[in-house]
Amino acid sequence: METNRPFLVRHEFLLRRLHSLSGLVPVGAYMVIHLLANASIWNGPATYQSAVHQIHSLGRALIVVEWVFIFLPILFHGLYGLVIIRESQPNSGAYPLVGNIRYTLQRATGMIALLFIVWHVFHMHGWFHGEAWRELIDPWGAQFAPYNAASTAAEAVQQSTLVTLLYAVGITACVFHLANGVWTIGITWGVWTTPGAQRRANYVAGAIGLGVLAVGLAAWAGFAFGVRTSDPEAMDAIRAIERRLLQEKIDSGLITEEQASEKSAHFGAPTDR
Amino acid sequence: MAHQSGHGHGHASVATGHRKLADWIDVRVLRQDGPGQASYWERHRIPYEPEMNVISVLQRMAAQAKTVDGRAVAPVAWECNCLEEVCGACTMVINGRVRQSCSALVDRLLRENPGEIELQPMGKFPVVRDLVVDRGRLFRALERMKAWIPVDGYFDMGQGLRQSQSAQEEMYPLSECMSCGCCLEACPQYTKIELARAEGETDEAWQARVREAYDLGFAGAHAISQVMLFNAHPTGRNNASERLDALTDPGGIQDCGNAQNCVAVCPKRIPLTTSIGRAGRAATLHSFRSFFDR
Repeated sequence: METNRPFLVRHEFLLRRLHSLSGLVPVGAYMVIHLLANASIWNGPATYQSAVHQIHSLGRALIVVEWVFIFLPILFHGLYGLVIIRESQPNSGAYPLVGNIRYTLQRATGMIALLFIVWHVFHMHGWFHGEAWRELIDPWGAQFAPYNAASTAAEAVQQSTLVTLLYAVGITACVFHLANGVWTIGITWGVWTTPGAQRRANYVAGAIGLGVLAVGLAAWAGFAFGVRTSDPEAMDAIRAIERRLLQEKIDSGLITEEQASEKSAHFGAPTDR
Repeated sequence: MAHQSGHGHGHASVATGHRKLADWIDVRVLRQDGPGQASYWERHRIPYEPEMNVISVLQRMAAQAKTVDGRAVAPVAWECNCLEEVCGACTMVINGRVRQSCSALVDRLLRENPGEIELQPMGKFPVVRDLVVDRGRLFRALERMKAWIPVDGYFDMGQGLRQSQSAQEEMYPLSECMSCGCCLEACPQYTKIELARAEGETDEAWQARVREAYDLGFAGAHAISQVMLFNAHPTGRNNASERLDALTDPGGIQDCGNAQNCVAVCPKRIPLTTSIGRAGRAATLHSFRSFFDR
């Protein structure tokens, strides 16, 4: 009978451990870096744009890095997470204990995080490339232009009150999921085993959670309120900085005119809206 | 037994310090006539006596065998055995919380929830009848994990290794497990597995099908803790690798979701989450060993 068992059942132990590990590395680690990079908006649009240029300096390798270290791990962690949730029967109503409430929240925030990330990638990146597709989904998706990073990201986050709120909720859910996940990873792999060790680990996980939440909400506030998209003069100033930084890259030969056009806002390089 | 109520009246209850908490006790009980049948609620009313436990409530209910509106019904079925919280047979869900009915004191229940007691069979096991459930999966999990020490044989194996006092003190609490099922009932990862026997299915085929279904389900905290107990034993350690294989098979330690309800509801206060943490560590090392040393 054992040979007839489906793949997911036969390799349950390995898959669960990979799920546990992938939540920390690379997904959790990537999220922290992502939030830190975005929080750099508080040092001005030039700093943020430079950070984005640095990421995009990988050129054609970027898509490989994105798929191997970001998209595939997130998809695996998220989809296998749904398999795990399908097998669970939360009962925090009947047994309202702290650990049990955290168990239920871990699953709730996991589902929120998955939906949020899928939407977030659509909203900013657009899921697929191609001009016709981008025009079709405008203004719902593909709102972020890497070479107009600060201006387009701020406009996207401030698109509507609902979008701004979705980002706050999404970031909070992701951070809770990571912090509580850090605690459960330690139990799963057998790092902290006794109640005393698990209590101390709780403080560490809580501190990590509060720290990452501060960074995440700072990044959110930077784009939601820090950049004044309603002020045309301020936005022109930001776009001028973005154009100058792009021109430097073009002049030094790191970016071609064609690439510049592809990754700039409004499909025209360099934009002077 | 009825005359005891007169005797009990007049001296204060040990449990509560109250003389009389009520004249009557209403018992709402979730009944089921047989396996796979629909369940239904029924209300019974019995006269209050001080210092009852839920077993004595069930005895009064069985003796009168009628509902609150006077309808004669079949007596409510339940299981009990030791009456001192060491066998686990009388485990059921009382006022929404799983526990033993022998050690569930009525005076305390009435102070939590005046006038009424609610009884349900455990929800994670197939109901046999009323409050009687089939806990076969619980025992199958112990079998899966080889939760014993194989010392039977033709040879005199001599004395076992000496155990240190500190090791004994760590192992003793784990040995107190009475296989009652509280940890499983409260566990959100342990979901009910109930199969229906097919028409004309042989005993062998039916049992094999049930065993396979049970073996794919989560083993549960009790079985994980027993692995830690027997792997800590100087003689039991000889089979540690086999137990860890079972622990990392489908439905093993990896299914734990760390809700930690098990340790909170365990009537014997067994450090189940410590066992789970240690089992996680043992499984990590064991899987590394079996992958890299093969």
